[in-house]
Amino acid sequence: MNAIEIRHVTKQFGAVVAVNDLTLEVPEGSIYGFIGPNGSGKTTTIRMIMNIILPDAGEIAVLGRPNAALARDEIGYLPEERGLYKKMPVRRLLRYYGRLKGRSLAQVDPVVTRWLERLQLADWADKRIDQLSKGMAQKVQFIGAIVSEPRLLILDEPFTGLDPVNVRALRDAVLELRRQGTTIVFSTHDMPTAERLCDRIFMIFKGHKVLDGTLDDIQARYGHDTIRLRLGSNTSALAGLPEIESVDDHGNYQDVRVSGDPQVFLRKLVQRTEVHHFEIAKPSLHDIFVRITTTA
Amino acid sequence: MSRILTVAESEFLTLIRSKAFIIGIFMMPALMFVFFMFMEYAQRHADREDRRFVVIDGTGVLYDVLAREAEAFNREAGDGDARTGPHFLPSRHDLNGESPDDVKVGLSNRMRQKELFAVVEIPAGILEPSGAATIKYFTQNTNYDRLPDWIGATLNEEITKRRFASAGIDQAVVSTLTRPAEIETFGLVERTAAGDVVAAAESDDLKRFGVPVFLLTLMFLAVMTSAQHLLNAIIEEKMSKINEVLLGSLTPFQLLMGKLLGVGAVALVLAFIYFVGGIYLALQYGRGDLINLPLLAWFVLFLICAALTYGAMFLALGSACSDLRDAQSLLQPAMILVVLAYIGSFVVMRAPDSTLALVMSFIPTMTPFTMMLRMSLTPAPPVWQLLLAIGLMLATTVAVVWAGARIFRIGILMQGKAPNLPELLRWIRA
Repeated sequence: MNAIEIRHVTKQFGAVVAVNDLTLEVPEGSIYGFIGPNGSGKTTTIRMIMNIILPDAGEIAVLGRPNAALARDEIGYLPEERGLYKKMPVRRLLRYYGRLKGRSLAQVDPVVTRWLERLQLADWADKRIDQLSKGMAQKVQFIGAIVSEPRLLILDEPFTGLDPVNVRALRDAVLELRRQGTTIVFSTHDMPTAERLCDRIFMIFKGHKVLDGTLDDIQARYGHDTIRLRLGSNTSALAGLPEIESVDDHGNYQDVRVSGDPQVFLRKLVQRTEVHHFEIAKPSLHDIFVRITTTA
Repeated sequence: MSRILTVAESEFLTLIRSKAFIIGIFMMPALMFVFFMFMEYAQRHADREDRRFVVIDGTGVLYDVLAREAEAFNREAGDGDARTGPHFLPSRHDLNGESPDDVKVGLSNRMRQKELFAVVEIPAGILEPSGAATIKYFTQNTNYDRLPDWIGATLNEEITKRRFASAGIDQAVVSTLTRPAEIETFGLVERTAAGDVVAAAESDDLKRFGVPVFLLTLMFLAVMTSAQHLLNAIIEEKMSKINEVLLGSLTPFQLLMGKLLGVGAVALVLAFIYFVGGIYLALQYGRGDLINLPLLAWFVLFLICAALTYGAMFLALGSACSDLRDAQSLLQPAMILVVLAYIGSFVVMRAPDSTLALVMSFIPTMTPFTMMLRMSLTPAPPVWQLLLAIGLMLATTVAVVWAGARIFRIGILMQGKAPNLPELLRWIRA
């Protein structure tokens, strides 16, 4: 069964088509990554799924119901724009968010306690939100989204602005929720995170769906034309080689896209400079992202 | 419904615990207390100067009266620290052949040098029955009217007495004959079950005007406090981006309605506190008869309605604004509406049974104030009017919250300039 089914959905703001004839299915129990550059339609899609804004055309079914409003209590939502009551103590806020989802305090309290401990916020439970650091507040907001133990969790840019330790803490939390059967949709700019976490990836660009599938499917579609190199000299050795379509210089290594036989390319390279590392790699999600957004 | 109550409860508890609310409760009575204390103090202490003035008495007889009355006045004002008012210190100046103009110029110079406060010139003809002449009062402080008022009153009493005497009429007889017949106002006369006619209670000004004005002002304060809070709360939520989280859990209508009920409950608590204070004061001063329980019950009902109707309006306004600056531009007309309803309702006092009063009773923004006044005046409006008015207010509240929710859904994603009226109407229809 699909947790979300989007069929031919279009949303327009004035003259701008934010989402254009989008069809997408999110299977239950999966982690689905929504990627795309700023302003490409990710947040609009998420807001339509959440029934916060309504599509101009098309249908969105959520958890088997014709719209999210009917499944609201089963959905956890962390919007891109973070919002917490600054003057409210952490525990009271989380209890409030839980009760807004129709849960009793008896149901909410153990979940709140467990997650506060899990995310190292137990000592801050009675502190007001405005006394927390930004990272802590973000973790509180995350708990707010899952306090009702939702079947579907939608996270809009959940890791933005967090330090690596907190990113890891939230990532582990997301994986644990998936193990418990929660369907998770999250949007991100962070391609390595999307690669590591997501079962399936959906990319929207200028309102159009440009990618949808498992990482393997997507990488297979974009071929094995990427070579990761570490050279003995600087990248000037690559100049003038006709096979090279593009070079992505990461400093210590370069990702090079070539046409033709990689072995022929390697032989040419060896004649020019020392080659410390030569790996025929699948294109990373980052590469594919950049390729789509720069060639479109 | 349970979501609405959850929001209401949270809003209520947050507000009740806020410093602003606690300060607000005590602020109003404290400010009023300070105001009255200041007025009292000012009255006793602001004017304790010696007011020296010269009298050029053309009649030759009136100065002595002034001097005598001034002594009495000064005695009453007291001496030293206990003094509560000015001392009037007159002195006579006889012309002795001098030119009156020269004298007045000389005295004016003394006034410039602050030796004198005023000069009074009483013309010789002032005692004539025709009384065409006028008393002249010269001073640098033309705004100070206590001294000229006192001089005028004192001299006039004496002058009238002397005019009556010279015309051969006994003034005491005139006073008795011209005493106005007073009108005492009563309510209706009733016959009891035993067949006795009950003497109608004499109408009491405090009961007739004091109680309604107190209740109306209470309602006005509660509405102003709660409605403005709602506007701020909704905008604060918008600015801190909480709305989107909340909309993931409930509809805009549930959110706005919950907030409204929460703040309505706060208005009730506020009124209850002042209420208890008012009843306590009435009992303290032995005016327990001013407490009219059925009227108070209706008051509570109308107060709730007022908080809800006005609250809904301010919520809808808040939904359309993205920051407090935006809100200010929309706030003014809304505030004027409240003030207009409050002040406008006093028109009803003159004629509580007029058509105007009836019409105003059914305009939802004016209903609570107008009805409250009519309730405390006679004849009181019939119960069907009260129920219809309450029904209308509640229906208006729901309609405004509904429209507010439509505005909210669209307004939430809008940042930047405040929408104009046509835009708002388009959002409601969308």
